[in-house]
Amino acid sequence: MVSSPPHSEAGPALRPRRHWFVAGMRGATAVPGLVLIAAYIGFGGLAHGLGLAFLPTLASTLFVWALPAQVILVGGLGDGTALPALALAVGLSGVRLLPMVVSLMPLMRGRRPRLWLELICAHFVAVTMWVEALRQLPPVPTEGRPAYALGLGAGLTLMCVAGTTIGFYLMSSLPGPLAVGLLMLTPISFSILLVRNAAVPMDWFAIAAGTVLAPLVAGSPGGLDLFWSGVGGGTIAFLAGEGLARIRAAQT
Amino acid sequence: MNLFGGEWNAVLVVLLVGFLPNEVWRVLGVVIGRGLDENGAVMRWVRAVATALLAAVVARLVLTPSGALAALPLWLRLGALVVGIGGFVLSRRSVLVGVLAAQATLIGGAWWLGLR
Repeated sequence: MVSSPPHSEAGPALRPRRHWFVAGMRGATAVPGLVLIAAYIGFGGLAHGLGLAFLPTLASTLFVWALPAQVILVGGLGDGTALPALALAVGLSGVRLLPMVVSLMPLMRGRRPRLWLELICAHFVAVTMWVEALRQLPPVPTEGRPAYALGLGAGLTLMCVAGTTIGFYLMSSLPGPLAVGLLMLTPISFSILLVRNAAVPMDWFAIAAGTVLAPLVAGSPGGLDLFWSGVGGGTIAFLAGEGLARIRAAQT
Repeated sequence: MNLFGGEWNAVLVVLLVGFLPNEVWRVLGVVIGRGLDENGAVMRWVRAVATALLAAVVARLVLTPSGALAALPLWLRLGALVVGIGGFVLSRRSVLVGVLAAQATLIGGAWWLGLR
């Protein structure tokens, strides 16, 4: 299943870029990529259920390529959130991509960096790509890394475009109870992943603050609900987490 | 979605409201390159905001949904979420078990209600 890049007898550095691109695409079919397809099947179903048309749903997978931002986007378009407020919420959810790109770029850059190539590589960076590239790129020779990263990103994108399409059209053909399951797949898996990824008290504070604030700030002027629950809840969690860490440090 | 006219107008909205505000951080990541402390206070705050935002997105979809989700009763949406997290915890943190437990609750509940 996992295609670790083959170490060739003939000197891996001499292989053509196409070889590394194809190897990267094979790398996309490792288990995390398959899990991502399932998530995008859920997203396609959710977008259909929220009343979005097919082309914008597909465009969000191709161009936004970050599931939380896409769910914010289709959720906001579905309930008629003001577009500037929606762009703000999407932008907030995207900040976490910045440190991922910064930490992955040295690995994807290769020997002779070219800006346009770096920007395309960076576009593919999202949680799954980040985890998989950190795992799969180190054994690839430096010359082959940009091509491998492009193959990995393009492979994941292709698989998820297929997943989005399948989910979107399944939604209208599945019998009622199964459609309900598909519709809730994204919120369910997001909440389980939030619990799984919570490592420090600050994470738990953030989950609690976001959950509690969401219904309280519903209907904020300008459609800024998500802004307030995100920035407000996150700031409360940050201050509480830092405070707790300071108290604990003082006690030891 | 009639607000935006045809499907292509909606694509344009996705690009302006979804692609641009999200992609700008990836571009910044390339431009800034090194010189960013991943565990500095600012990045810790960013992570807290991203987590709260994601929790709020889930809470909105579950507590005050629109579209087809609104056809499900609140107790079923909440119940599935609780069963899912419970399944995850009880199975010693298996995401698959959590998701399957929640799905079984949802599909069983919807079938019992005779939805659609």
